[in-house]
Amino acid sequence: MRLWLSMAWHSAWSRRFALLLVMLSVSVSVLILLGVQQLREDARRSFSHALSGVDLIVGPRGSATELMLYSVFQIGRPSRNMGFAGFEEIQRMPQVRWAVPIQLGDTYQGYPVLGTKAVLFKEFKSQGRGLEWAQGRAFGNPSEQPQAMSEVVLGAEVAQRFGHQAGDLLVLTHGTGGGPEDTDHDDHPLVVVGVLKPTGAPIDRTVLINLEGFEAMHQGWGMGISPKSLKSAAAALPQTLDVNALQPVSLSAVWVGLHNRADVFSVRRKIESMNRDPLMAVLPGVALDELWQVVKVVENSLVLVGFMVAVSAMLGVAAVLLVAMAGRRKELAILRAMGAAPRALLGFVLLESVLVCLVGIVCGYIASQSLMWAAQDMLRTGFGVMVQPGWPSTDSLLSLGGLFVVSVLASLLPAWRAYRLSLMDGLHPPSV
Amino acid sequence: MISQALSLSQLSHAWPNRPALFDITRLTVSQGEHLFIQGPSGCGKSTLLSLLAGVQPPQSGVCEVLGFNMAALSPVQRDRLRGEHMGVVFQQFNLLPYLDVQSNALLPTRLFASRAKASAAHWGSPLQQAKALADRLKLPPQVWHQPVHQLSVGQQQRVAAVRALMGSPRLLIADEPTSALDDDNQMEFIDLLLDTAQQQNASVVMVSHNARLASRFHQVFQMRAGGSA
Repeated sequence: MRLWLSMAWHSAWSRRFALLLVMLSVSVSVLILLGVQQLREDARRSFSHALSGVDLIVGPRGSATELMLYSVFQIGRPSRNMGFAGFEEIQRMPQVRWAVPIQLGDTYQGYPVLGTKAVLFKEFKSQGRGLEWAQGRAFGNPSEQPQAMSEVVLGAEVAQRFGHQAGDLLVLTHGTGGGPEDTDHDDHPLVVVGVLKPTGAPIDRTVLINLEGFEAMHQGWGMGISPKSLKSAAAALPQTLDVNALQPVSLSAVWVGLHNRADVFSVRRKIESMNRDPLMAVLPGVALDELWQVVKVVENSLVLVGFMVAVSAMLGVAAVLLVAMAGRRKELAILRAMGAAPRALLGFVLLESVLVCLVGIVCGYIASQSLMWAAQDMLRTGFGVMVQPGWPSTDSLLSLGGLFVVSVLASLLPAWRAYRLSLMDGLHPPSV
Repeated sequence: MISQALSLSQLSHAWPNRPALFDITRLTVSQGEHLFIQGPSGCGKSTLLSLLAGVQPPQSGVCEVLGFNMAALSPVQRDRLRGEHMGVVFQQFNLLPYLDVQSNALLPTRLFASRAKASAAHWGSPLQQAKALADRLKLPPQVWHQPVHQLSVGQQQRVAAVRALMGSPRLLIADEPTSALDDDNQMEFIDLLLDTAQQQNASVVMVSHNARLASRFHQVFQMRAGGSA
C-alpha cells in the first residue's frame, strides 16, 4: 500500500499542472457551495439576532410581521398607534427591566427618524453586541436639560452618507416629505451630539431623537399639515414649551427588556390582556425567524445552484482524468508486466483521483473559512451578518461528505477506464 | 526443481470468427535455455508472449509455464506468477517516467516480497543486486539517480533488463528489445542480456525481426502466418 501511495504521488507529481487545475476546480466549487451554505446559515442566525437585547416588541394588535417590519427595520409605516399610557403601564411591571418607546413618522433625507429615550443606547444589542460611539455621546434627558430636546444621534450609515459630524445642524422632514405643502421642520433645527459605530443592524440607517423633541416638533400639527400653513394656529402656539407636557398621546411601538428572559411569556400574556386598547407583544427572535421563511425559496435555490456547480466540477474532473488515461496506457502496461493485477491498477488510479478531489475539498474548505474570517468585519458592519468561521456545521459536513461521495463516483470513471484498458492492452498498448 | 521453463503442445489461438492465428504442435524449453522466436508481422508473436506471460489465458491446448498449467490458474494467480517469477522487457518505453533509474530498477522487489527475498539471499540487498546487474550490463553509474528521460534509448533498455532480472526470475520475456537500438548495440545488448540471464539460470524467450541475433540462442522457433512449424 505504501508503495502504491508513493507511486501514485510520483505519478501525480509528474502531471502536477493538470492535476493542480483539477484540484482548483474542485476547490472553487467547494468554496462556492460552502460559502453559500454558511452565509445562509449565518445570515439567518444574524437576522434572528438583529435585536438580541430586546425581549419583547409591543405594538397595537395586528400583524406581527408588520410590527417587526416598521419597528425594527423601519419598513412601511404603522397603520395604528398604541396609547402612551400602555407604555407607562408596561414600564411599571416588576419583571420589566427597561422599556423604550419607539416613535416613527419623520425622515431625514429619506432615512427614518426614531423618537425614543436615551436608555436605548445602553440596552440596544445586535448580535449580542451593544452600541459603541464613533464620536460624541447620547442625547441628554430633556426634563433635566431642556436643550436636549434638539439633540440628535446619527446611525453610522446616515453620518457617513452626508458626512455629518458631532456639532452639525440638520432639519428633519415630516413624514416622507414631498407633499404639496412645506413639510420640513425647519422651525426646529437639531444639533448632532453623537454618531454610532456601524453595527450591521437597521439602527445604522436611523436618526435618533428624544421622544420629547419628536413631540415638540409636532406641536400644532394636524392631519399632517404644518402649523406654518395654518397661520392662525401658529400664532396661538405658546413659544416656550413645558417639557413635562410633551409626553405624546400615542406611540408606534415599545421595546421591552426583562430582568429574566424566562418571564417572557407571562409578561406577554400580561401585556396582551391589559385593560386598554388591544396590544400585541412579539418575541423578536421568533418573529424574525418567521419573516426569514419568506426568503427560504431564494436561499434554497442558491444552495441548489451551489450543488450544481460542485457536481459539474466533479464531472469536469472525471472528464479530464478520463482523457488523461489515454496517455497513461504505457504506464499501465509496464505495471501490468511487473505483475500488477488490473484490479490493483484500478485502485491505483482511483487512489490518485480520490486524493486529488479530497485535497481539493479540503483546500476549498480552508479557503472558504479564511475568506470568511478575513471578511468577518466587513460582513458584520456592512451586511449585519455575523459569520462564525471554524469547524463545519452539520449541514456543511453533510454537503462535504456528499461531495466526497460524488468525487469518488466521478473518480471511478477513469479508474474503470484504466481497468478496461489494462485488460484490453495487456503488454501491448498502442504505441504512443 | 522443474526442468522445463516452457512446455507447449497443441496450443492454438484465434480471434473470434477468424482462422487460427497459430497452432503450435509442440515446443519445450528447458530451464536456463534461451528461445528465439521469429516470424512475420501479424503471425501472433505478441499474442504468444501474452499467453506465456499469463496476461491472456490459452484458448485450447496445453500451455505450461515454469511448471504451471496456465489454463488452470486464475487471472490473479497468473499475474502473481508473472510478478514473482518473470521479467518483461519491451521494445522501448520500459520505464516509468516519474521514477528515477534506481526506483525503476528496484520496482519488482518492492512489488513482490519473494523477489526482494531472493535478491537479498544472493546479493545482500536488492540495491546491491541492481548495482551488480547494472555493472554487468555496462550501465554507467552516474545515470543511477537521473530521471529516465535523460537516458539514451540504449541505456533505458539496459535499465529495463536490470529491472527484469531483479530478484532472480526464472523466465525473461523480451518483445523486440533491440529494435530501437542500432546494429552494433543490438548485438552487444543481446550478448550481455543472455550472459547475465545465464548466470542466474533464467530462461529467455525473445521475439525479434533481426535473424542475425538468432545465432546467440539455444533454440529458434519459426512462426508463420496462419500456422507454425
